[in-house]
Amino acid sequence: MKITQFQERLFEQGREYGYTDMEIYYSASRSVAVTVRGGEVDSYRVAETHGISFRGLIRGQMGYASTEQLETDSIAFLLEEAAGNAAVLDTNDDSDLFGGSDQYPQLQTYTAGLLDTPPDKLIDAAKKLEQLVLHADKRITMVRQSSASVREHEVLIANTRGLHCHQQDSIGSMSVYVLAGTESETVSGGWFDYDLSNFEAIDPQRIAERAAYEVVSKLGASSMPSGMMPVILREDAASSLLAAHASIFSAEQVEKGFSSLVGKLGQTIAGSNITLVDDPLMERVPGTTIFDAEGVATSRHVLIEQGKLNTFLHNRKTATKASTTTTGNAARGGYKGKLGVSYHNLHLEPGTRSLEQMIAGIEHGVLITELHGLHAGTNPTSGNFSLSCIGYLIEQGAIARPVNQITVSGNFNELLSDVVELGNDARFTGSCTSPSLHVRELSISGS
Amino acid sequence: MLQPIVVERILQAALETGGDFAEVFVEDRTDRDLGMIGGVLERALSGRDYGIGIRILKGVFSVYAYTSDLSEDNLLRTARKAAGALDGSKLDTVLNFEPLQVDNRHPVLQQPSAAQNARKLDIMRMAHEALKQGDPLIEQTSVGILSWQQKVLIANSEGLWAEDTRTYTRLRLSAVAVDGNQRQSGMRAPGALAGMEFIEGLDIGAEAAEAARIAATMVKAGYAPSGKLPVVIENGFGGVLFHEACGHGLEATAVGVNASVFAGKLGQQIASPVVTAIDDGTIPNAWGSLNIDDEGMKTQRNVLIENGILKGYLIDRVGSRRMNMAPTGSGRRQSYRFAPTSRMNNTFISEGDSTREQMIAATEYGIYARSLGGGSVNTATSDFNFAINEAYMIRNGKIAEPIKGATLIGKGIDTLQKIDMVGGNLDHGQGMCGSVSGSLPVNCGQPTLRVSEMTVGGRKGE
Repeated sequence: MKITQFQERLFEQGREYGYTDMEIYYSASRSVAVTVRGGEVDSYRVAETHGISFRGLIRGQMGYASTEQLETDSIAFLLEEAAGNAAVLDTNDDSDLFGGSDQYPQLQTYTAGLLDTPPDKLIDAAKKLEQLVLHADKRITMVRQSSASVREHEVLIANTRGLHCHQQDSIGSMSVYVLAGTESETVSGGWFDYDLSNFEAIDPQRIAERAAYEVVSKLGASSMPSGMMPVILREDAASSLLAAHASIFSAEQVEKGFSSLVGKLGQTIAGSNITLVDDPLMERVPGTTIFDAEGVATSRHVLIEQGKLNTFLHNRKTATKASTTTTGNAARGGYKGKLGVSYHNLHLEPGTRSLEQMIAGIEHGVLITELHGLHAGTNPTSGNFSLSCIGYLIEQGAIARPVNQITVSGNFNELLSDVVELGNDARFTGSCTSPSLHVRELSISGS
Repeated sequence: MLQPIVVERILQAALETGGDFAEVFVEDRTDRDLGMIGGVLERALSGRDYGIGIRILKGVFSVYAYTSDLSEDNLLRTARKAAGALDGSKLDTVLNFEPLQVDNRHPVLQQPSAAQNARKLDIMRMAHEALKQGDPLIEQTSVGILSWQQKVLIANSEGLWAEDTRTYTRLRLSAVAVDGNQRQSGMRAPGALAGMEFIEGLDIGAEAAEAARIAATMVKAGYAPSGKLPVVIENGFGGVLFHEACGHGLEATAVGVNASVFAGKLGQQIASPVVTAIDDGTIPNAWGSLNIDDEGMKTQRNVLIENGILKGYLIDRVGSRRMNMAPTGSGRRQSYRFAPTSRMNNTFISEGDSTREQMIAATEYGIYARSLGGGSVNTATSDFNFAINEAYMIRNGKIAEPIKGATLIGKGIDTLQKIDMVGGNLDHGQGMCGSVSGSLPVNCGQPTLRVSEMTVGGRKGE
């Protein structure tokens, strides 16, 4: 059944059931992905999925339910389950649906033809990437996988208050994962790149060169003595650390006491060189979006301005509780989740110097390129982290050798006040971005 | 679900271009999720996942297509789109489905339903009170009950027709203790392949007291030291050590393409002789158990390591083709959105003859890791890491002060050789394991054991 038809029937039957207001959040995605190994296509994936989340006001309570089956018998499932869920809720704080913003930003996020990139073109590109990386360095022993994919996604939010928001986005990407080594040693690594409108704009040569460097430069790594020392978190490692702690800026986490920033609004929580922005309207990056999961028009917000905590991220419910206005950061974990709060395109404002220049300023320290086990080794409630990592030893302003079997420990909140310099190398590859960060001192544990 | 005649048409369409094997995985799953924060029920969600994955193999080349539109037209179109990735001609295939007879080893007494909401709510309120009263330092609580039922149909061009229903129930308890500006959480999350009877059978008060005790203990803990130390790891979820250090490295996903440090080592001594490790998908009602795996094969008990010698791998259908070895009932996937790969079920180290007291007493200076968190591993290098949720120093053979903020790291191939004492108190803990075929319920288990040396990533120089 088409979504518009499903929506009409659902709202009609919902009214008969006793719902006074109703909303659907529909999301659909289509993708094609190929992986190549040893010059042969190893896997080929085609996906087409959709799902719908329903919420409705019944007897003054909002109930939630979702389904991936858009058939007639799903309507009864949604109405009954949402009513059952509404009946047990103790809260009554998201009882009004949003009728729509006066104006929505205009942004180009979708290229219609991207998904129609011929599969042969994806396969050829992945094969070419595999060959390029194999020939990039003799020490490369195996390309574990070389991949190419195109994907498009759409979201529709519509409700009985007149809201009707629709947005589509698309992305093409390529990645390669490589092993290198000798009899006694194996190392692994990879690289990826993307383009939002044209698959052919992705340059396999650049990915191959970078992937080869990433893996080969790890050869000969060993641990290093423990100690407190200056650390540079390379942009990708810094971005992953920021993402692991970014929930502390959610007003929902603050209100529930799970954020370490409780009571810190308006205070200086970071060094004066730290400015943290959520900018959903930045063009040509993956985190771009013109409305949030409640249908509120998005806008740019400065969360930390030169060290001072200006605002948390809000949806309409958290904003009401905190007597402020929504920042347009309502989010759902796909169509299944309850309405929560999240960032769209969170990033630290970059500095002016390159990673090389930052390294040159360090007598003895570590450049960290990968952090492992972030889902387990970080605690956003306390800010404490202790993480397995790899990178390079820095001696006298230059990379001396690769290091592995070490951990880095510290506290994210303390780290924000301890950043000596931010690099100019931020890469917008996801929804959370940091440039390289030179941190005055962190604890390294090794041999 | 789908009628045999429709499934047959899909499989025939999938094989039109020379595939030698085709399979459908149809899934109809209903989730119910209740969440309470600080005693207030503020999360009540129901969801239905519904879709089909169509897989075609030709040798080890695999094509996978999935869709949530189960109209016959769309299914045939999807099957043909997938078949379009191959350019051969159709092999003659006669399909004759033979329903697989499965004895249900995991009985469910109380099937999940929306009608259980009221009872769940009572239990959650009780759990909240018990968490709150567990310690004066507890300032926030979180309680959740998650249950889901997954109905699957797996049919393939070899004539397999297998249906199964999997019912999962899990309780999550978490307490946040605050002391000055320190905040720490403690949690418990028991789960089973069972219905509500699992939660009814739990001692909720004891589980809550344990979560509160961990939070209140850890909020007063000092930082862990750094460096290489002996570590005594408590039984139960401590088995995540083996799961990360070795388990993933024994999966065909890595071994079959020679991207595991354990590839080619069958029959070799890869662990200390006190180590015997097993992956068992048949344990009744255990969180990681299944009647049949997601390729329709009955699960089994697989001995991976016996007295330190590598005895076997975890092998799915594609892995079996790559490695020329029999599959082990280990093909799993989170949902129809994932092609199956080799995965763990309930993995554990079996019992030895030491005691916890002996291990602590034999350790002059080290760490006692009472409760572990999650971790990860790079199977190509066997570099692994996992977090400690609750730990103490061991000084002069005695458990001393609590420590926090430590990650344990090592190389699986080294660490397995350094397990020098194994206790007799096997227990299992529940976790969600993430890998290429998605996030899956698994048990990690072990008796208390000692590793003679691991790198402890703390913050304090000592």
